[in-house]
Amino acid sequence: MLKIIHFVLAIVIILPVYAFALDGTKLLREIDRNLSPESYESYRKLINIEPDGAKREFTLFTVKKGIDKVASVFLAPASEKGRSTLRLGDNMWLNIPNVGKPIRITSLQSVVGGVFNNADILQLDYATEYDVSKVEEEDAGYLLHLKAKTKTVAYDQIKIRADKQKKLPTKIECLTEAGMLIKTLYFKDVKDFGGGLVRPAVIETDSPLYKGYKSVMIMAKVKKRTFKDEVFTLTFMPNLESLR
Amino acid sequence: MKRFGLIFLVIVFSAISSATMAEENYTFDLSEIEKKPYHFGGYIEARPVLYGLDTDAALYKLRFFDDVGRRALLEANGRVLLEGSYEKNIFRVFARLNTDLQYNDHTHGMERTTFYEAYVSAKPLTSVKIDVGKKTLKWGKGYAWNPVAFADRPKDPDDPEQAMEGYIMASADFIRSFEGPLKTVSITPVLFPVYDHINSDFGQNNKLNAAGRLYFLFYDTDIDIIFMTGPSRPDRYGFDFSRNLTTNFEIHGEYAWVTNTRKTVLDSTGMYNLVEQDAHRFLIGLRYLTSFDLTTIIEFYHNSAGFNRDEMKNFFSLISQGFDAYQIKGNRTGLARAMNLAESGYARPNAMRNYLYVRLSQKEPFDILYFTPSLTCMINTDDLSANIMPEILYTGITNLELRLRAGIITGPGDSEFGEKQNDYRIELRAGYYF
Repeated sequence: MLKIIHFVLAIVIILPVYAFALDGTKLLREIDRNLSPESYESYRKLINIEPDGAKREFTLFTVKKGIDKVASVFLAPASEKGRSTLRLGDNMWLNIPNVGKPIRITSLQSVVGGVFNNADILQLDYATEYDVSKVEEEDAGYLLHLKAKTKTVAYDQIKIRADKQKKLPTKIECLTEAGMLIKTLYFKDVKDFGGGLVRPAVIETDSPLYKGYKSVMIMAKVKKRTFKDEVFTLTFMPNLESLR
Repeated sequence: MKRFGLIFLVIVFSAISSATMAEENYTFDLSEIEKKPYHFGGYIEARPVLYGLDTDAALYKLRFFDDVGRRALLEANGRVLLEGSYEKNIFRVFARLNTDLQYNDHTHGMERTTFYEAYVSAKPLTSVKIDVGKKTLKWGKGYAWNPVAFADRPKDPDDPEQAMEGYIMASADFIRSFEGPLKTVSITPVLFPVYDHINSDFGQNNKLNAAGRLYFLFYDTDIDIIFMTGPSRPDRYGFDFSRNLTTNFEIHGEYAWVTNTRKTVLDSTGMYNLVEQDAHRFLIGLRYLTSFDLTTIIEFYHNSAGFNRDEMKNFFSLISQGFDAYQIKGNRTGLARAMNLAESGYARPNAMRNYLYVRLSQKEPFDILYFTPSLTCMINTDDLSANIMPEILYTGITNLELRLRAGIITGPGDSEFGEKQNDYRIELRAGYYF
C-alpha cells in the first residue's frame, strides 16, 4: 500500500513538471522560423560605425534555402559590387569578380570588416548549428543557453534572450568555450515584412574585442521564396545578381 | 546659488538631449536596391613607379645597352577600366574595356586599349548558362600560379589579383546538386577558336580547340578535372583541389600534364636547340588565418619544363657577350639573339623550375582601421634568389584604394632575380572605383 502511495505521489509531483517543462529545441526552432522563412530572399544594409562616428556601408542581396545553404551578393559600394559569398554547411567561399575564382574563406573572417563576421553575414538557422542546453523562463521572456554542435561553428556558446509573446530574440550573446564574451547582438525595431513575417528590422552589435566600434544590419524586403539547389554552387556564384 | 542651479539644469538637459540624439534611427532607402536592366561602373588608377637599376645585371644590359649609366627610371602608369552590362529576359551582355597608359623617359609613351571581356550570356535555366564572346575562365585554385588555367593568359605572380584579358570562346555551364557527400557536379565545355584576329596569339592559326572542366564538391572538397585539346597547342590535362582542414586552415593544389611542349634552349657553345618534352607542373599551397587576423599564404610551384640553372646561365652569358660586342664594335647581333630568346621564354616571369611563394598579411594591426601591411616573398629555390615585396594598403575612404609597395631583389650574379634589371622598385598605386 505504501508503495502505491509513493508511486501516486511521485506521479502527482513529477507529471506537471514534465507536462509544463519548456521544450528548448522546439522553442529555438520557433524563434528561427519567426526570424525568417526556411527559404527566402532579402536585402540587407550593413553599417560599420567607428568610435569617431565615421561610417562605412555595404548593401547585400541574400538568398537562403533549407538548413544549410545561403548566398549573398554585394550591390554597393562600387569597390565591392559583384562580390559574392556562398555557404554550404561549414564550407564558405568568396568570389571577387576581378580575381575571378571563388576562394575558401573562414567563418571568423569578415568580408566587410567591422564587428560582423562571415558567420553572422551568412547566418544559418540557430537550430542547425546549436543544441539547447538549458532554458530559463523569466518575467518578460526566455533565456536559452545554446551549445555548438561541432567545433567548426563560429561561437561555442550562445545565450538568446527572447520575447515571451513574440518568440523573437531581443539580445544574443556570443561566447567562447571558456565563456568569454565575443559579441552581443541587439534586435530592434520589430516590423511587419508582409506574408506573416514580423521580425526585428535592425540588428546592432558591439564587442569587447572592438571597443567603441559598432556594426548595424538593417533588413528589407525579406520574403519567402524557393530556389533550386543549383543556385548554391560555386559555378552559379558569379550569376547571383540575376536572381533579383 | 541660483546661477549654479541654472547651469546644473542646462547641463542635465543637454545630456538628455545628446542621449536622445545618440539613439540613431537607421534607414534603408529602398530606391538604393531597385534593380535596373543596365549597369555601368569602372575603375581608374594612377601608378607611379621608381626603378633603382642594377647596372651589372644581365637584363639591365639587354634593355639599356644604348643608355648605359642610367641608374634609375621613373615611370608613370595609368589605367582606366570601364564596364557595363545590359539584361533582358534570359540574356545579358557584358563588356569590360581596359586602357593602359605608360610613360617613361626611356621608351616614352605607350597606350593600349582592349576589351578584357565582351560576351553575351543566355541563362535558359538556373542550372544552364551559355556564354559566347571574350571572357576569362580563371580555372585553378592557386593564388600566385594556376598551371591548370589552360584557356587563360598567365597571371602576374607579383600581382595575382589584377584583372586579366580573356580569350574569345563559347562556353556553357551545366550544374546539378545532390544530397549526400557529393553535393555538386558541374560541367563546363569550351570551344576555343584560333584564327586570324581571333585569339591569334594563342597558338597555331586556323584551328578550333576544345577544353572542359568537370567540378565536384565531394566530402567538402572542391575538385576540378580539366583538359584542353586541339591543334593550336599541345594537349594538356590536369586537376585541382581545395579543402578546409579547419575553419581557418585551407589547403589547395593543382597538377597539369602538358604533352610535347617545346622550348628553345641555349647550350654552352651558344647554339639553339629545340627541346620537345612532356611537362609536369604542380602547385601545392595553404592559407592560414590566425586569431589575430594574420593571413598566411604559402605555395610551392614546380615546372619540369622550366629552365635549369645552366640553361639560364648560358642565356645571361649570351647577353654579356652581346653587350660587350655592342660596346666595343657596335655590333647588335648578339643582343638581338638574346632578345629573341628572352621573348621565347627566358625572360618570362618564373621561367625556371622551382619557386616558393610566401605572403603574410596583417589586417588592421595596432587597431589602425582599414590599414593592411603585407610582406610577400617570391623565392627561386633553384638558385635561392628572391624578390621581397613589403607593402601597405589603406582603404579608409570608400571606393578608394591606396597601396605603397616596394620590391627588393636579392640574389647573386647568374641567378634569376640577381640578373633582373632592378635592385629595387618603389610603387604607389591609387585606385578609385565608381
